[in-house]
Amino acid sequence: MIGFRGLLYGAVMLWGLLTTPMLISEEVTDLQDCYLDGWGQPLRCTRIPVGEGDAEVTLAVFVSPAMNKVQREPLYLLAGGPGQAASDLAPFLHKFRKINQNHAIVMVDRRGTGLSRSFDCGIDRDTPMDLEFISKALEKCYLQQANFANSLSSRQSVEDLERVRKHLNHQRISLWGGSWGTRTALLYQQWYPNSLKALVLDAVAPIDSKVFLSATAAEDALKILVRDCLSDVSCSKFGNWRTVLDQLLNDWNKSIAVDFPDPNTGKPMAHPMSRWVLQNAIRTALYSPEAAVQIPFAIQQAGLGNYYPLSGILGLFPDGTSGMSLGLTLSIACAEELSRLSEEEIAADIRGTFVGDAFFGIFESGCEVWPVPDRAYEQPELRKHPVLLISGEADPITPPAYAEKQLGYLVNKQHLVVSSGGHINSMRGCIPRLIKEFLESPEKKLEQTCITDINRPPFTAGIYGPAIEGPKRKHLEEKGL
Amino acid sequence: MSIFRNMRSRQMRGLLLKEFREVWRDRRALGITLGFTLLFPLLMIGSGALSYKVMSETSFAVAVVGGEHAPLLEEQLRGGDLRIEPLQGGVPQELLQGKYDVVLQIGKNFAEDYRDLLSPTVYLYVDSADKSGGRGAQRVQEQLARLQQTIMQQRLAVRGIAAQTLSPWQLEVRDVSTPSSRGVAILGLMVPVLLIMGLMVCSTAPSIDTSAGERERMSVEILLQQPLSGWQVVVAKVLAVTSIAWFGALLSLAVLTISFSLLPLAEIGVRFSAGLSELIAMSIILLPLALLVAVLQILLSLRSRSFKDAQVQLSILQALPVTLLVGLKLSNIELDAPIWQLVPLVGQQQWLSALMAGEPISTRLALAGSVVTLSLVGLCILVGARALRRESLLGAT
Repeated sequence: MIGFRGLLYGAVMLWGLLTTPMLISEEVTDLQDCYLDGWGQPLRCTRIPVGEGDAEVTLAVFVSPAMNKVQREPLYLLAGGPGQAASDLAPFLHKFRKINQNHAIVMVDRRGTGLSRSFDCGIDRDTPMDLEFISKALEKCYLQQANFANSLSSRQSVEDLERVRKHLNHQRISLWGGSWGTRTALLYQQWYPNSLKALVLDAVAPIDSKVFLSATAAEDALKILVRDCLSDVSCSKFGNWRTVLDQLLNDWNKSIAVDFPDPNTGKPMAHPMSRWVLQNAIRTALYSPEAAVQIPFAIQQAGLGNYYPLSGILGLFPDGTSGMSLGLTLSIACAEELSRLSEEEIAADIRGTFVGDAFFGIFESGCEVWPVPDRAYEQPELRKHPVLLISGEADPITPPAYAEKQLGYLVNKQHLVVSSGGHINSMRGCIPRLIKEFLESPEKKLEQTCITDINRPPFTAGIYGPAIEGPKRKHLEEKGL
Repeated sequence: MSIFRNMRSRQMRGLLLKEFREVWRDRRALGITLGFTLLFPLLMIGSGALSYKVMSETSFAVAVVGGEHAPLLEEQLRGGDLRIEPLQGGVPQELLQGKYDVVLQIGKNFAEDYRDLLSPTVYLYVDSADKSGGRGAQRVQEQLARLQQTIMQQRLAVRGIAAQTLSPWQLEVRDVSTPSSRGVAILGLMVPVLLIMGLMVCSTAPSIDTSAGERERMSVEILLQQPLSGWQVVVAKVLAVTSIAWFGALLSLAVLTISFSLLPLAEIGVRFSAGLSELIAMSIILLPLALLVAVLQILLSLRSRSFKDAQVQLSILQALPVTLLVGLKLSNIELDAPIWQLVPLVGQQQWLSALMAGEPISTRLALAGSVVTLSLVGLCILVGARALRRESLLGAT
């Protein structure tokens, strides 16, 4: 019988060994498969309840697991706005594919955005661009959800991130912040320095910077566009389109506004095209170099009475502001940004700019009906984490000067400046590779020469698109790259 | 339970010791084992790594004939892995014979037709029989498509048309595969085949030596005169041969595991996720198969007329499992039904692929399949024992 028992024992041993792999492959956390638009691979997702009472939110967390088994610290993506959802950054995973090989990439929709109880107050792409109408809608929205509106803050967003980090059992993490996401990242660095390994900040909004005062930055970006246009044979033919723009904005009247063509339907717009909307459309076009290169021709044509090219630029941003959850935007902007601006600063910023108060005015009137309590940040302290800063030379809201002059408290930083670049450059040219190199050896100085290959796209020269016949720029082919 | 008592008798211990010693002392068998298990995976992995390196580092020479008619096009092709060389003239076919991978030909009227929105033609010459030519052409097409996209978008915008009006819908593709399952698709056949081949190759020489060889050395007669039953002799031989074959397969597995960790598998979206427990499970799964291979090879060589004959027969047998597995794969026969896991070889292949990719397997089916394989081993041992009793076997030369 001993033999039989031996056999049985052997079988049990075998069973045990065979089942071990299955036990190990079970995940300890509560993650489930899910998908986000813009990325075809499955993500691992979870929901974490936060907040209390009528301010309760279940945070939506998305993880794109690292491909390799031996992994480095996870990279959390922090979206801009405030009001943009991190889940909207899913398409970034295409360019961050190589980073994702060794780093899990985590996206958390902060409270009030995306799938974490989007606080949009019903304002979407169908809402008429009428400040008075929007103000009324916002006022009603605030009164209905005052507790929720008052509860939202940067501090809370950072606490939520820390909570997610612990929930996912992550030790130290790295952060990629874009635009307003850089502010959240910098505050996280201030409050949880020990949870952080490295920072990648694209279009940085330093803690002290007053990013809602952006009319001068937009004007400077336009000046760089003028400079680039002058050095381009086909674009320089449009003459002094900058003056034409001033003239256009000056002469903008109701009849032009009513007849302005809708890029989606080809018919006149359902709601008249107000001057402030046009100013903001041009400002928005400066965010993206692809759109910016179409401005000179569009302005020149508008000066001649042809508004179609201008309407075409509007058509490049089909979602308008609907990507933002305006309720959250105001809760943060009114409490943390507009509260620290003086009348003099505002006046100085808008003076002599094409945007004027068209951008700031949206928030100014919004904050009037959004009476959240003021919140101030503490003085930033010195931090030694490795930081990679990325700026676009012609960024109309977070110019390179922010990274250069307002980050004295970061002692270990490198700065990439993309010439003629707009807002957010992480996806362009060799920058995804540089980010990967930085995350892999954060202390090493990056070889930056490849960013000079990132050029402005060709300017629109006519009805046929860009001019085909001449290299308009001096190209940099013989650098051995 | 006399089987187990017999197994532990002193004679049996002596026999096992003899068989193991003979197998492990055979330098030729050891040489083949080490050579195959170490060199073969390394060779495969090495060539894979090399071709990946070539793929990712190659740049392509592109001749642009008539580039002066469309300088923007030429300019936008520059950079990345395309080496652009503008040429005033030349016959594309001849240029392709020379140092160029791709030739792009732009007509004289290109700029004028472009401005007039007449959609001028660009000619792309490629030798698709040439590997780098095909890939180079693809890269040029991608770059051109990107520029075309920019131009199309600008042409729409200047007419006041939103680009999205040309996309009646957005298609979101959602891939349900995982890096591990893609790993099964790519490595799922190769790794099991390599391991099973390892078993076959490593046990061939000792199988022949312990059966046909012993017969030729006339030592088998002395062996049969010992107070041991036929099955005991077969079992001892099978165990000895299995030991070296299994060792060979385990060595292969170790070499493969180490090599995979050095390969940039993540680059192609694949993960080799087998951990220690999976590797142990794979090793155990290989054992019944190793026994089956050994007993079959010993039987076949016992049946053969001579040492030479045994060599011929076994070398044919060596290729059989691989041919079978590849044939099944190519014939697209659906092997998903659980019953297939009970078929020796097919079952092992499926478990090995799954475990290698870090995917769970059904323990019940794995045990049942292994029992089927082991039963076959038992059956073969009985057949072998009967064969040993036939005097004619000994006379065969």
